[in-house]
Amino acid sequence: MTDTAIEAAGLGRRFGRRRAPALDGCAFRLPAGRVCALTGPNGAGKSTLLALAAGLLRPTEGTVTVLGTTPAAARERLAYVAQNKPLYPQLTIAGTLRLGRDLNPRRWDAQVAERIVAEGDLDPDTKIRALSGGQRTRVALALALGKRPELLLLDEPMADLDPLARHQLTATLMADAADHGTTVVMSSHVVAELEGSCDHLLLLGSGRVRLAGPLDDLLAAHTLITGRAGEALDPHTVVESRTTGRQLTALVRPEGHLGDGFQSDRPSLEEVVLAHLRSPDAPPLLLDAREAAV
Amino acid sequence: MTALTAATPPAVVRHISPSRGLVLAMLRLHRTALLFWVGLVVVAAGALLWAMGPGADAAWAEYTDMGCDLSRPNLGCDFPGPANSRYETAVAVASGLVRLLPLLTGAWAGGALIARELENGTAQLAWTQSAGPARWLAAKLAVPALLLVTGTLTLTLLHRMLWSSDQALISVGWRAWHDDGIFEINGTIAAAQALAALALGVLVGLLLRRSLSALGVAVLALVSLVYVVGELRPHLWPVKTVVTGLDDATAGSDGMIAETGALTASGARVPIPSCSGEPGCEARIGITHYYADYHPASHFWPLQLMETGLLLAVAALATATAFVLLRRRTGAAV
Repeated sequence: MTDTAIEAAGLGRRFGRRRAPALDGCAFRLPAGRVCALTGPNGAGKSTLLALAAGLLRPTEGTVTVLGTTPAAARERLAYVAQNKPLYPQLTIAGTLRLGRDLNPRRWDAQVAERIVAEGDLDPDTKIRALSGGQRTRVALALALGKRPELLLLDEPMADLDPLARHQLTATLMADAADHGTTVVMSSHVVAELEGSCDHLLLLGSGRVRLAGPLDDLLAAHTLITGRAGEALDPHTVVESRTTGRQLTALVRPEGHLGDGFQSDRPSLEEVVLAHLRSPDAPPLLLDAREAAV
Repeated sequence: MTALTAATPPAVVRHISPSRGLVLAMLRLHRTALLFWVGLVVVAAGALLWAMGPGADAAWAEYTDMGCDLSRPNLGCDFPGPANSRYETAVAVASGLVRLLPLLTGAWAGGALIARELENGTAQLAWTQSAGPARWLAAKLAVPALLLVTGTLTLTLLHRMLWSSDQALISVGWRAWHDDGIFEINGTIAAAQALAALALGVLVGLLLRRSLSALGVAVLALVSLVYVVGELRPHLWPVKTVVTGLDDATAGSDGMIAETGALTASGARVPIPSCSGEPGCEARIGITHYYADYHPASHFWPLQLMETGLLLAVAALATATAFVLLRRRTGAAV
């Protein structure tokens, strides 16, 4: 047993020589028991990172360690739900859960899986091909949670769900994670969706880690300031600054005391993430990579 | 904060092993293909059993009624009656289905068994279950292989029974032991072809990852394989040679011919001249004899086993490549 759920060191993955790498030199450490939001713009490498952690892809550079071992060796203890929620269309819901039991005989918890299906008012005898996108998501999550994973990797899990089902499934997921100490990594590019449920953040941009660490620490490290245009922002790290007329608005990482000419505010998660997305050249901030450095 | 709590034992079902679970899952996922295969075997076996019993009796009765079993010239005997036609059709259906088998197997293995799962992502679903990619592939190969071999060998045994019991009707139908379809179904080759088709189809599916292109390429690969192995067939075992005089060119014709030609006075092998049969042709060119390299019926098993070995080697190579490919792609050791 280890207290680290995922640890990446110099992790890179290329698809074809001529294309830019999907992931490039990623280093981060995700402690066990966290609920981690994995976010970033389209094509940032979120799905690639999850597939690498799930042992579905091989890194072209660096290593990824999952639950203290290789992804292949941790396979029995992790669950992964891909973005398109693949399920066998010819099976019924009950047949799909039976498949989960047959393929995970040492871990399968039928009660958990059946409860998640039942909460969605789904008839177990319905064929998968007759389900809507959101209903498929529910069955895919039931299959993943029925395995009783220590690490749950979810790629855009809520994208197909209506607001009510999203709320309900998130609650189920979080309750389950809290009860069993499951580490959850869920990717999404809808930042607001993540704020309430996650306590850890990993922001990717162009295949690199931009922000990594506990959500609270990351938020505390940033300050939203407003002041008169032309005021010097040294020695603080400026993530993004905008001048509107004579007013300067900036998101900074303060290094010591901020000048008196500024009014400072705590930024929201969305503001921090958006500021980083708008400024691809802002330096990354890794609050958890200390042990992950090679 | 700690994952230790996850170690509390969940309500665990322990009554099946992971491998058994995989086999059950395979059978459930590919039930349509399984039913199709069972249906094909039943139809072919039924045709053979019918041909051996009532079919043969009726055909033989018709034959004797026409007086064809008597050794006197009777032109009508070259054209079988309706009972004989039915017998011929039943046998042709059975051996035709077996001859189609490599193509059907390859197309299914490439398209439905592997590539469709890679295309729609269910392979990734399966690979992240406890069993893992390598055992997934092993099950995808082992379960169909077992069913294919069992079914094909059943048909082979039935056809061999038919072949040994109805010799008289066989000679009426102008069938010989070395005809492609008969040679294949009468020995181990049919089963080996099915295995090679399965392995090649799986490899093509893994390589292409698109069901339609995998289906097409697998069929193409198998047509080529069956053709090439068919061309190699007479050369897989040392031949016997028979040399005949100029007036008799029929020696070896009841065997599998590997090569025929003409001999000059010095013993050199030359092609049969295009004027063969015209008066004075051989003398003009200096040919003294004809020869034939052929396999007598006693070479049946050596030829069968050599070709079976060749096909199994292809299957083994394709299987090994498929595992290496899967392992390189997923980086999985287990």
